[in-house]
Amino acid sequence: MIELGKTDNKSKPTRLLDPGVLSSLSNLELVAKSVVEGFVLGLHRSPKYGFSQEFVEYRPYTEGDDPRHIDWNVYSRTDKTFIKLFKGETNSHLMLLLDTSASMGFGSGNTSKLQYGKYLAASLAYLSSRQHDAIGTMVFNNEIVEFRPPTSRSGTLHSVIHALDKAEAVQGTSLEKPFTRFREHVKKRGLVAVISDFYCRPEDLQESVQPLSSHGQDVILFHLLDPGEMSPQIKESTLYEDMETGEAIEVSPVFMKQDYPDRVKAHIAAIQKAAQGMNADYVLLDTSQPLDRALHAYLTFREKRS
Amino acid sequence: MSLLSPLFLLGLLGIALPIWLHRLQTHATEREKFSSIMFMEQSQQRIHIRRKLKYLLLMALRILFLLMLVLAFTRPVFFVAPQGLVSENTTHHVIVMDTSFSMREGNSFEQAQTEAEAILAAMAPDDIASLYIASGSVETINPATADPAVIRASLGNLEPDVGRLDFGAMIASLDTLIESSQANFVIHFISDYQQSAQAVRFADMIPDVINGRPVNLEIHQVKIDDVPNWSLASIDVTGLREIRVGVVNNSEDAQSAEKSFTLSVNELEQQTVTQTVSAPAGGIAYITIDNVQFEDGDNRLDISMSPNDSLADDDRRHGVFDNSPPAPVILLSADPDSLAITYISTALETAPRGYEVELQNISDFDPRILQRYPWIIIDDIGAVNDILAQELRAYVDGGGAILALTGERSANQQTVPVGGQNISGGLGFSRNTTYSVQRVNSSHPALDRSVGWNNLNISRVVPVEAGENDNVLISLTNDVPFLLEQTIGLGRFLLLNTQLDNIWSDLPVKPLFVGFMAEAARHLSNEEQLVREQVVNSFLQLGQNGGASGQVYDPEGNRLLSLADTTQAQNILLNETGFYRISTLGGDVLVAVNPDPRESNLTLMEAQALQNWQNMVATSAGAVTVVDGEAVSVVDEEPVALEVWRVLLVLLAVIVLSESLLGNRYLRFNTGSS
Repeated sequence: MIELGKTDNKSKPTRLLDPGVLSSLSNLELVAKSVVEGFVLGLHRSPKYGFSQEFVEYRPYTEGDDPRHIDWNVYSRTDKTFIKLFKGETNSHLMLLLDTSASMGFGSGNTSKLQYGKYLAASLAYLSSRQHDAIGTMVFNNEIVEFRPPTSRSGTLHSVIHALDKAEAVQGTSLEKPFTRFREHVKKRGLVAVISDFYCRPEDLQESVQPLSSHGQDVILFHLLDPGEMSPQIKESTLYEDMETGEAIEVSPVFMKQDYPDRVKAHIAAIQKAAQGMNADYVLLDTSQPLDRALHAYLTFREKRS
Repeated sequence: MSLLSPLFLLGLLGIALPIWLHRLQTHATEREKFSSIMFMEQSQQRIHIRRKLKYLLLMALRILFLLMLVLAFTRPVFFVAPQGLVSENTTHHVIVMDTSFSMREGNSFEQAQTEAEAILAAMAPDDIASLYIASGSVETINPATADPAVIRASLGNLEPDVGRLDFGAMIASLDTLIESSQANFVIHFISDYQQSAQAVRFADMIPDVINGRPVNLEIHQVKIDDVPNWSLASIDVTGLREIRVGVVNNSEDAQSAEKSFTLSVNELEQQTVTQTVSAPAGGIAYITIDNVQFEDGDNRLDISMSPNDSLADDDRRHGVFDNSPPAPVILLSADPDSLAITYISTALETAPRGYEVELQNISDFDPRILQRYPWIIIDDIGAVNDILAQELRAYVDGGGAILALTGERSANQQTVPVGGQNISGGLGFSRNTTYSVQRVNSSHPALDRSVGWNNLNISRVVPVEAGENDNVLISLTNDVPFLLEQTIGLGRFLLLNTQLDNIWSDLPVKPLFVGFMAEAARHLSNEEQLVREQVVNSFLQLGQNGGASGQVYDPEGNRLLSLADTTQAQNILLNETGFYRISTLGGDVLVAVNPDPRESNLTLMEAQALQNWQNMVATSAGAVTVVDGEAVSVVDEEPVALEVWRVLLVLLAVIVLSESLLGNRYLRFNTGSS
């Protein structure tokens, strides 16, 4: 687990990875490209993550592969279609599940959790696209707002980013329906990145995600939290309104200072424990921090699962 | 200011201000959106409710502040009935002291005071007492109190006045004063019980009983000296230098006594006459004082009789004699030898005021002397030429007055000179026709004392047509005005449509003629007619005609009217003996005030009559049925007026302080939350 608020010394974020700067970019694809390019530059061509174009091997063409990657020279000689693989490339699928419930609209700074989640999802899609992974996305809240099954066809990145871009933070959070739908439509094993603030019971999360793991999907949970959610600072008793349910509750500053952070930490721990229980990776992200932490975590996760 | 006063109701609208302001400022408690409240816990303090309560409390304080402020301006008074004085066994001793003129006799009043002391000394511990004085009116000296010392202190300051007591009026007044009383009360009436004070109807002396509480009348009669009481009843000027004084024997037997009478004129003692006076019971004897020296104008006459009897205050009398010279009045005539001149001159010279008629031929008249005379008479207005008519109109316009008659010269005119009334051609009379009076405005000052107009026989009139500005005072059967008045500027023009020669009408030979001329003269000369001798507690009516009443000075020389009151009609209560002086622009007028002669009659009520009175009061009380027992618990004392504006001021201060503290706290709260 990557602890919130700490910066990895090995990969200092570049300016372009800062969420505040990214929010000034209106084009999500540009954001993703900026993030990934900046991130890749920071990697110093690390062989570990295989982003060089060094040839490794051929493998037979299978349905879903981009035909552009077929080595036609080999085909002319052998009459068989082979895909040319480079170091660092795999043949995996990445499914991005983005929570767009109303709570994701919260943001104490310039960037809301939803925006941050969009940046993250788009960056992961771009990164995966560079590595020729099939990418798909599911935007959900109570209902499934957008669903695009994973594919490596050309234009997928654009359609995925477009689906992410138009997502808005509305309604509540229900994991059961999107994950059931996901199981019904995505049979192929692959990587599943769930981006959410996980304002749900850990038991419900486990109940929804566990079947994916059981079916061989590699799941990584990106838990987004705003700094204002971790330790809210109030001077007077304040009437808080739940963005999803509309319910209001009046809380005292003493409670918010003393008890509330502990409850949030306990919730994080419970989510993390649930993730462990279903063999999923868990990454807690502070939305005020650059995205490189998330990309590092993803690549580690990908490397581990490939 | 009443609570229904428009100003009060207008002030109440101010309450809308804080309501309006709070309506603007009151908003729902601001909510702060948060991603999820699933980890939050309800604060024990409901801040938004508390905040709302603060708002309401602040608004209530501000409304209360305005309400108190407006209420304070109304100076509200609460009447609080003092508690604890009355119990079921309480007796309320209503002590009524007779302070009328007759109580000046001997030591009557000292006896009355001693009697009152005895009543107070005999009071039971639970009893209460109140003190009233009765004379020309009944006044409350002490409302009900359980402390006899309070009443005892008041008793020492009382003394008899010069008024007249009437038992019926006294009981009626007491009924009003003790109307709210529901205790067992006893009326202790301490008096000499003059027979003359007895009410005409005996029933008027029985007090009403309120709420069935028992009423008792205790008779406390003071003893008077059994000596004849002589009193001075009248002063009349019977000749140029002669005064006649009436002396009344108020005893029940014929009496004869040697008395000395000292006359003072204008506070200067002139002479003393000693004479034996004899008069039957209740009879009057006259003595004459000659060679009295009068001054011009009003003379103050004081007669005192000695030796004094036990009621010495009625041995002196005041009178006024008007020794003003006859007022000059011009009689303009075209025919100085006519019979009308004789009638007019005679009537005016014999009027009470006395007028000196200066006859002038109208053709030789110099109008420049008009200003010397307050009014003039013209025996035929038709003889006035245009030039003189203009002068006369200017004279009237400046405040003068004219009594004009018509005559044969008037019948030849188109209009009445000076007055301007149209004459519809020719002499409107016939020797064979007799007119009579159809309508008389008897409310007019010139006509209010004369009667018999309907008996006039009028054979000739000039067909005068009344104009818009004319006030027809007497009209004839053919609607021709017989007497009309026109106001011109500051003066009056009075037109009598006849000739006073006993040919045109028989008015000059009717009894009402002299009276009418006197009243007309008084009216035209703006003279008030005052009764120059009055009794105590009568009213002096001033300015009855709407004119200024003038300033009035009482016998001690004190002004009785404010400057504003001097311009209005007034009724002045004459409650002191002596000379009242009415000072007007026309000069000073004196009015002499003497005690009511009935107070000098010391004949007392019969013992049996007193007993009957007492019994009737008791019977009347017993005949009333008690409706319910609730009346017993009602308090019995004059309600105490409690002015609450001071309390309101204290409340205002508290409210302002509270509002400031709360408002300050609220402001601090806002600052903190922002």
